[in-house]
Amino acid sequence: MTSIDVQNLTKEYGTRRAVDGLTFRVRPGRVTGFLGPNGAGKSTTMRLVLGLDRPTSGTATVGGRPYAGLREPLRHVGALLDAHAAHGSRTGRDHLRVLAASNRIPGRRVEEVLEETGIAGAAGRRVRTYSLGMRQRLGIAAALLGDPEVVLLDEPANGLDPEGIVWIRTLLRRLAAEGRTVLVSSHLMNETASFADHLVVLGRGRLLADTPMREFIDTRVCPRVRIRTTDATALTAVLARHGHDAVRHEAGHWTVDHARVDDIGRVVSSAGVPLLELATEEGTLEQAYLDLTGGEAEFTAPAREA
Amino acid sequence: MEFTPVLRSELLKIRTLRSLVGGLCGVLLSTVLFSALAGADSGGPDADPLFSVFFGVAFGQIAAIAFGTTAVAAEFRGGALRASLAAVPRRGRWFAAKTVAVGVPMLLVGLLTGCVSLAVGRAVPGARAAGLTWGEQVRGVVGCGFYLTLMALLAVGLTAVLRSGVATSSLLIPFLLIVSFVIGDMSGSVADLLPDRAGQVVLHRTWDGSLGPWTGLAVTALWTAAALAAGAWSLRRRDV
Repeated sequence: MTSIDVQNLTKEYGTRRAVDGLTFRVRPGRVTGFLGPNGAGKSTTMRLVLGLDRPTSGTATVGGRPYAGLREPLRHVGALLDAHAAHGSRTGRDHLRVLAASNRIPGRRVEEVLEETGIAGAAGRRVRTYSLGMRQRLGIAAALLGDPEVVLLDEPANGLDPEGIVWIRTLLRRLAAEGRTVLVSSHLMNETASFADHLVVLGRGRLLADTPMREFIDTRVCPRVRIRTTDATALTAVLARHGHDAVRHEAGHWTVDHARVDDIGRVVSSAGVPLLELATEEGTLEQAYLDLTGGEAEFTAPAREA
Repeated sequence: MEFTPVLRSELLKIRTLRSLVGGLCGVLLSTVLFSALAGADSGGPDADPLFSVFFGVAFGQIAAIAFGTTAVAAEFRGGALRASLAAVPRRGRWFAAKTVAVGVPMLLVGLLTGCVSLAVGRAVPGARAAGLTWGEQVRGVVGCGFYLTLMALLAVGLTAVLRSGVATSSLLIPFLLIVSFVIGDMSGSVADLLPDRAGQVVLHRTWDGSLGPWTGLAVTALWTAAALAAGAWSLRRRDV
């Protein structure tokens, strides 16, 4: 069982607090999405976990030990921080060989991760000829090199094409299913919703939420039922009788807030209202996230007067 | 973490960058070429016969500095240093491996450069190098190797402090080309203690300053040690 433990972590750059009294735990066996507006402290937290930055106070440990104390850390923790970490004049394969050598990782792992990330065909080319998507794949290959129990990826979907996005989703799900601890930062909500089980949300360096993703959405976005009918009068009448407010939309459908499809369906069908469509409008992660971080974005556009 | 795998990784970094391998060849070529040109020019009767053989070292050291600078500066581009230190979090050990990985190939190439320069110097018809004793020739070759290595490592330390290859080059190269030439003639002053002046005494048959060949090289080694210590300190202390 290897988890990432962040305890009271604070990091100041001059007078600015990038990370402010952060405490959370990333557990194995699930994908934890790491969300927050730009400047919320996600990348700083990752650097602190990896011992690259020194915390002002507090601790960050992996499996109960500080990262810098790990022998051959790549065998325990794999990280992608920056797609531009590889030297442009080195080949992709050589970049991985260099990293493998330092942690005594056998050379065959280099070929394995090249295959796994789909860049084996380009492994002999210099990194400067790679697209951003290929660099990301190389960075992910480097993270997987030591077959680590803990994987930290900072914005791994950046620059990936649609096929690459599907691939990374599958990869993250698989890593979690294998029992690894997976922490993935992202600002793409729909993307995060497609792979995360759990969320850690930051705003201005502070912890805003540490909850399962489903729960996060359900508590922040009110459930809504969507209805289309040929008999609007009958619909509104029956709903009003049961205390529901139906709102008509320009596209021709109706929605009912704070309602569940089970209740509405029963009420409407027993009244014999003809239905063309009856569906739950699921709250999206994006809605829930914006609801939470509305006041927390460091650089929000000023609201314009109409 | 053990030192050997880290060193192996750092040596592999040097081998897999064409600019670094090219830089080492540049040290050899520029030193030998300019030494040969100087040897062909008969020079005044008072010219130092040993230094005329190793005259090209003044140019080869620029290539040596470029080699040391490039090897470290590559780490300060993009997120390279983060990846390196995530793999090897013991920063002191990592920097020691980097230093050895630059120093050992540089020393081997430097010694080879010394041998080739000497061979070329002796091959020039009517060369005054023919009059050199065995001991002076060995001193010249060994001195050439160590001097070039110390200059490359000086650049390693300085680049780690300044975190930029451009900053290091624009500090060291003008220093060697201008400062040393301008105040270098004022022998017997503090100028003798500058890293290049002190270290080049070993390449002369006779000297009149306070420093001898080996004490001169030791002074250069002190400069280099100071730069490396500052580099290690800066690397261990800073966030990356």
